[in-house]
Amino acid sequence: MTLFDGMSGIEYKITGIYVAYAIERRLEALGLNEGTTIKIITRKKNGAMIIKVRGTRLAIGKAIAAGIEVKEV
Amino acid sequence: MQDKLIKVAVVGNPNCGKTTLFNVLTGSNLKVANWPGVTVEKIEGFASYEDFRIDLIDTPGIYSLASYTIEEKVTRNCIMDQDIDVILNVVDASSLERNLYLTMQLIELKKPMVIALNMMDIIKERGLEIDLHRLPEMLGNIPIVPVSAAKKKGINILLHAIVHHYEEGPVTEVFHYSEEIEEKIEKLEVMMGARYPKHEFKRWHAVKLLEGDEAVLKDHPIEVETIADKSYEKQMIQEKYGYIENIVEEVLFYKEKKAHITEKIDQYLTHPVFGLFFFFLIMMSVFFLTFSIGDFLKGILENILISVSNTISALFNTIGVAGWLHSMLIDGALAGVGGILTFIPNIAILFLALALLEDSGYMSRVAYVMDGVMGKVGLSGKAFLPMILGFGCTVPAIMATRALESEEDRKKTMIITPFMSCSARLPIYVLFSGMFFEKNAYLVSFSLYLLGLFIAILTASILTKIKKEARKEVLLIELPEYKRPNLRTIRIYVVTKLKDYLSKAGTVIFIASLIIWVLLNFGPAGMTSQPDESFGALIGKLMVPLTRPAGLDSWQFVVALISGISAKEVVVSSLNVLFQTTASGSNQSLLQSILTVSPEFGALQAYAFMTFCLLYTPCVATIATIRKESNSWKFTSKVILFQLLTAWLVATLIFQIGSRIAGL
Repeated sequence: MTLFDGMSGIEYKITGIYVAYAIERRLEALGLNEGTTIKIITRKKNGAMIIKVRGTRLAIGKAIAAGIEVKEV
Repeated sequence: MQDKLIKVAVVGNPNCGKTTLFNVLTGSNLKVANWPGVTVEKIEGFASYEDFRIDLIDTPGIYSLASYTIEEKVTRNCIMDQDIDVILNVVDASSLERNLYLTMQLIELKKPMVIALNMMDIIKERGLEIDLHRLPEMLGNIPIVPVSAAKKKGINILLHAIVHHYEEGPVTEVFHYSEEIEEKIEKLEVMMGARYPKHEFKRWHAVKLLEGDEAVLKDHPIEVETIADKSYEKQMIQEKYGYIENIVEEVLFYKEKKAHITEKIDQYLTHPVFGLFFFFLIMMSVFFLTFSIGDFLKGILENILISVSNTISALFNTIGVAGWLHSMLIDGALAGVGGILTFIPNIAILFLALALLEDSGYMSRVAYVMDGVMGKVGLSGKAFLPMILGFGCTVPAIMATRALESEEDRKKTMIITPFMSCSARLPIYVLFSGMFFEKNAYLVSFSLYLLGLFIAILTASILTKIKKEARKEVLLIELPEYKRPNLRTIRIYVVTKLKDYLSKAGTVIFIASLIIWVLLNFGPAGMTSQPDESFGALIGKLMVPLTRPAGLDSWQFVVALISGISAKEVVVSSLNVLFQTTASGSNQSLLQSILTVSPEFGALQAYAFMTFCLLYTPCVATIATIRKESNSWKFTSKVILFQLLTAWLVATLIFQIGSRIAGL
């Protein structure tokens, strides 16, 4: 599954990141690496969501959410 | 005694409180300029401690020392190229894990470094504790000073650490990558040493080469391929974060679990449905305050201005100043510039509100809240931030488009941002809606803000349809903790903006007013007291056929619009001069003069005129910024032309449809 399929309030573990090169590097610098735990704080139907990772809140759009492969913790 | 000089670069993540700390350290000794070659703001200041003079340079907020963004490149060049003695790394303790990633990269530079651990008060509020003995140990014994920039705590200890550490010299190595990578770094270091014996940052450079950093490779070409067949960046980032996880585990403790204020507020403000509602409510109140309180204070300033104008006029009469000079100074300069000065309260309130939204941490939420709406027109929610900044001034708004991930998004946002009503257009609305709409003045002004927003979004939507791009909504933005806005930061922001406005009134607007006065008082036959025979009238009359469909049938309006390209406020100052308003800023006398020249001119014409002002060619400063940011005259001219056409089209539509309805 990808983060796009995730639900509010649930924690997930990243298993892979498949987005444009520069954005992938940016996400990694922000601390989204393979094995990192992500919690979805809230999300909209269109796929934009607020996630919490390493103590920081990030808002990401659908394109990015759909490119992050996760599994439930 | 000669002061010893220390140069310090202040480096940190966005939202780490870097600017607040910088302001506390330097007081008001600020110097704002641009970094060479780019329009990223460079702020310098200084502090004194013991017999040291500490020069501080504020660098743009960054998450990483990579070279993907302009900000990263600027910061990197600053701390490496310039003779920086100490790096002051500001770390947001409430977001320690992510902030330490940049710290780890800075440590790799092996320069003297001091960490200011900011936001310690939030740590306490949340029931957390940081082991301040263990943390420096794990970071190579660099001094770590807990501070609260907002409460001005720990500042002297921080200055002491900078001075002390500067004399002490560089830190030791802290972090080792896995063997596979360390081996390659070592080999690259040897290669670097052979090729560039004087290079200062060999290890850091080797690390960057292994990460496949193109900027580093371009500066100091070397055969990386012989050592590494691919970029190890991903693996190296992971290893760094691995080490950071160890640090956080050892130094960060939960004493007691407390409710999270930010998350409570966000339940409402970023709610999937109500988030949008709250956003519009907030924006409505911003404009309401701008107009209501602003207008009240403006009235007071107007009265002062009228009495000043009368006093000077009387004084001139007593001492017998020549008629033309009297007219030029009172009817030209004072009417033009003075008229603009009366709008200071409106503009101050608007900028105050924008500063509050930004400093409280709400602004980045807007990107998330608006992401759905913006996604429908093919833009990321982040594109809405430059648009909101556009309510203040288009120039920084155009610069802010830099934060957008894709080049396409950036260009689109640059095209539509000038449609947002900047503060310079506010005087036009206040003046005309005050004269022609009386009770509904606020509503009319507000409708122009909405109209600008609507045209901007419509344009984006059309552009996306034309290009038939797949919608790739690459929203990515950090949502910082909500915090009580810092008065000092807000004050510095508002004062800077007002100074800009005042200096504009003193330069561009002053000169434009004088030019307009000359154009009005001189004609082919020399000096004339008949404005109808002046150069201004000749130019204006030439263009009137073009603006007549939009209801603007007297040459004065054309001249005002042309002059407004120098700065939008100039439309107002020019009108005051054009219609020879004697008591500057007085609406009634201007209204009478307009009606004398153009008896037909009523609410509909006023609305068409305001619409034209809202949408047409942006001011010179904006044009220059678009040119610089897009690096293309072709693109810039297209934008100018497009906006002029849009303005004409919309104003004409409004006037034509409006007069048909009125004629029924």
